[in-house]
Amino acid sequence: MTTPGGPSTVLHRPGTVGEAVASLTAEVEAGRDVRLLAGGTDLVPALRAGGRGPAAIVALRRVLELRVRGASADALTVGAGVTYADLAGWSLAPGLAAASRVVGSVQIRNCGTVGGALGSANPRGDLLTFLAAAEAEILLASARGARTTDVDGFLRDGPEPGELVTAVRVARPSGPQTYLKIGGRQAAFPALVSCALLVDRVRERVCCAVSGVATGPWRVAAAERLAGDEVDWSTGTAPLALARRFGELAAGGLRAAPPLPEDPRHPADYRVHAAGVLAARAFARCLAGVRRGDPA
Amino acid sequence: MTGRAGVVGGNRGVGSSELRPDGAAKVGGAFAYAGDLRVPGMLHARTLRSPHPRARIGRVDTAAARRLAGVLAVVTAADVPGVATYGLISADQPVFAATEARYAGEPVAAVAAVDAATARRALAAIRVAYEPLPPLVDPGLAAEPGAELVHPDGNIYREITLTHGNPSAEGPVAVEDSYFVGMQDQAFLAPEAALVVPAADGGLDLRLATQWLHSDREQIAACLGLPESLVRLELAGVGGAFGGREDVTLQIHGALLALATGRPVRIAYDRVESFLGHPHRHPARMWFRHTATAAGDLVSVHARILMDGGAYTSSSPAVLANAVTHAAGPYRVPNAQLDGTVVRTNNPPCGAMRGFGVPQVAFGHEAQMDRLADLLGLHPVALRTRNALRPGDVLPTGQILGAPLPAREAIEAVAARPLPPPLTAAAPETALPGGRATAATHSRVRRGIGFALGYKNLLFSEGFDDASTARARLALDSDGVPFGTVHSACSEVGQGFVTVAGQIARTELGVERIELLPADTGIGSAGSTSASRQTWMSGGAVHGACVAVVDRLLARVARSLGLPPEVVESPRRSLVIDGGEIIGTETGTRLPLAEALADGGPVEAEYTFHHRRTTALDARGQGDPHVAFAAAAHRAVVDVDLDLGLVRVVAMALAQDCGTVINPLSLRGQVEGGTAQGLGLAVMEELVTVGGVVTNPTLHDYLLPTAADVPALDFVALTYPQPGAPYGVKGVGEAPTCTATAAVVAAIRDAVGRDLRRVPVRPVDLVDLSALADPAGR
Repeated sequence: MTTPGGPSTVLHRPGTVGEAVASLTAEVEAGRDVRLLAGGTDLVPALRAGGRGPAAIVALRRVLELRVRGASADALTVGAGVTYADLAGWSLAPGLAAASRVVGSVQIRNCGTVGGALGSANPRGDLLTFLAAAEAEILLASARGARTTDVDGFLRDGPEPGELVTAVRVARPSGPQTYLKIGGRQAAFPALVSCALLVDRVRERVCCAVSGVATGPWRVAAAERLAGDEVDWSTGTAPLALARRFGELAAGGLRAAPPLPEDPRHPADYRVHAAGVLAARAFARCLAGVRRGDPA
Repeated sequence: MTGRAGVVGGNRGVGSSELRPDGAAKVGGAFAYAGDLRVPGMLHARTLRSPHPRARIGRVDTAAARRLAGVLAVVTAADVPGVATYGLISADQPVFAATEARYAGEPVAAVAAVDAATARRALAAIRVAYEPLPPLVDPGLAAEPGAELVHPDGNIYREITLTHGNPSAEGPVAVEDSYFVGMQDQAFLAPEAALVVPAADGGLDLRLATQWLHSDREQIAACLGLPESLVRLELAGVGGAFGGREDVTLQIHGALLALATGRPVRIAYDRVESFLGHPHRHPARMWFRHTATAAGDLVSVHARILMDGGAYTSSSPAVLANAVTHAAGPYRVPNAQLDGTVVRTNNPPCGAMRGFGVPQVAFGHEAQMDRLADLLGLHPVALRTRNALRPGDVLPTGQILGAPLPAREAIEAVAARPLPPPLTAAAPETALPGGRATAATHSRVRRGIGFALGYKNLLFSEGFDDASTARARLALDSDGVPFGTVHSACSEVGQGFVTVAGQIARTELGVERIELLPADTGIGSAGSTSASRQTWMSGGAVHGACVAVVDRLLARVARSLGLPPEVVESPRRSLVIDGGEIIGTETGTRLPLAEALADGGPVEAEYTFHHRRTTALDARGQGDPHVAFAAAAHRAVVDVDLDLGLVRVVAMALAQDCGTVINPLSLRGQVEGGTAQGLGLAVMEELVTVGGVVTNPTLHDYLLPTAADVPALDFVALTYPQPGAPYGVKGVGEAPTCTATAAVVAAIRDAVGRDLRRVPVRPVDLVDLSALADPAGR
């Protein structure tokens, strides 16, 4: 059997975040190429396909403190080692659960982790799209201590050398949340276009991010402003006509965003259109009371 | 089931749903595929491929790769001792590109190293001086006179002009349009793999996954410059094929490395290499014009078909013949002009895939039939029923259609099946188009129903005698119990020959225990596992060998019982094997089979099965090219989200002309798989090339239907025995692939009210981008 990475790869198996950071730091300071391994859903295929493995791998499965999730009065904290399967049924976090339920196949959901979603930073990543809409804080640890950043900052700058994502933190839901996604089949597909939408009834606003059109998850600011202004916040509802305008504004904003490379099967015009439809539907489901079985 | 019941054997004989002998191992993950084979001391091989669709190749510098620790051999075109090229029909494909690479992914060199990672590093160390040239990737341009030649043999693999009746005859009602079929891949489960072991006699033993051992051997031996007797092949576990293993891929590379190193070599593709390494289904551009009387009788069909064969011949000429001769579909057509061309381009080579040219034209002629029905105000089923072929009809080739061909019965049967319940507001969102991701909204989902009727030729055509040889033996085991042995070189690729061969042998030899020897080149050819042919051809060979064994044994018994010479001559008149005994039908004498075998020793026989002779096509496309046909009809029901263009196939019904059924369970597996593969071409499966380069060679980007995409199949088997075939069987694997695509697209058309002229259908083909129509879902 071929060893992923080849025989020259050193494998670290830390038991705590402190040990993990120490291993990572030692490898970085020695100038060696080091990778983090959690669920392995991206790293293992890359190692199988690539010519030379990294000099070192820090395997995080034994770091139990990364594998916890918790709720405080105002926030939900999810460890970087928490899997999609762990999140898929979490009743406190309906949006996180909805996004996690539609990641890949059941095998991927059993292995893939929150930290992996950030580490791979797929511009169409399901969890990343939700975290962008949720204005998540990303918690990082290194030998220099801990820090937090937001999704934009993380995607722009990435982790610093020797830094480990330990958790993400999102506000406790204060209104409906949803995640809608389209792709090539009925299950186990990568997102072609997706939309995460959260209603915040406390701060009276709607947060919405779309992936599959722009170079990363894209907040549809004009549509969000419209929603903030026109939703009836005393009841948390809006007329259906507003959903339509929300979708149009979302699509309009995406037309101006820096685009992903063109896709011969799914032209940008279609993806922008689909993004508008998804944004309008997400809005309608969360705010206009459109539920299963409503008449046409 | 309708028609003849077809059970001729006992509990585990012909007609029973005997389980696959390898089924439990496959489901449990214990089955060894070719890629799982390991021997001590073996080397790992990998292939270097051209990244350019067309490039002149200067120097290939392998020195740095050879110097790497752990690298034992690097081979290039300069190291091929025999013929430099190979191919199924025309040997025009270089073992390694020497002076020019003609498609992106073409092998240029291969290395053998102590492990796979070292082999990969060695590939990176090979320096190839490419001079990229502008690739010719438009098949329309490749066919034009004066086009730059992609290869010295020219750009036209084959051109067929078929004229039938009076091609200028026209009916008063006409429909005309153009259609396109994208490049589908076989995407079989287990990627290509072989284990090549050098032998002391200077020859080689290969254990590999393939569809045709003897054809591989012929091509390997020629390129190695070895006599075929020194190249011995044994079939290893094959995880699917669908035509994608008809061509040689890694066999010669592995053999060259084994000869160069004197050590066993494992050569195996990963998924990306598999997508690049074998030929695909031909993309096709097709134009059709159908005319009919006002009552709906077809008067003429004109078709022009242009197929892209890619850089090398593979089976392109035979695929084109199938496309052209089936272009009018299973309909009575008094006048036709059916023309086709398959051309060479710098796109990836295309060759055999389940259906072999017929799914492409079936998509076209069935779209035309729907448009014609629409124009005439007829139901699609009524138009098809009215025009469906009947035995005795003259096909466009002039061939007289033999019996049975229940085309009309198939379309009527499928139309009579109950429809699924309508979509209601109570359905969960996960049941809508897009499934789990719940993006669809009930109020924007429309349902559509579509039909397709098709037929597919069985066995090799155009005069080819694709005979199959098998050997059977009846002997006693160490406990003195009679058992049978069957030897055939038939490639079991998952289709179920290992089950069927056992059932036939059990039925004919009258014993429970049958051992199937490994398929290898120690026996004559069984022909290819393709063209829906192995149950008929190799089943026929096994049947013939078993019958001969029994005849010999009974004759011997008749002699030893002192029966008259006329009984010895035809012993079955007076003796039968039943329940482990040889019974005299007139005398009532009973002799245990074990005793008969103990007395005279084992009995063995070999038999070669031939199908009826066919003929080549003449200059006008006329002849008697096809051995027989099978008809199939599908009805598809789909739901479509009108705003997103998402499709969900809700129900599929199939009525198929199956001949006698050897194994009902195995039959169901074949028709379900064929339906799923056709559905995949309809809505998702497409290898996308840009400038000749495949952009999606992974299972992440080339999507295959999952269990969530394929509804349970409502299946009706039409079981009229086929003359000339053992027990009256017909091949069943391909016909449903030919009609499923057309039926699904017809259903989508019905749902969205748009002309759909290309497959796979994409979301962008289904939505109106000019208006963000009621995005909220009201």
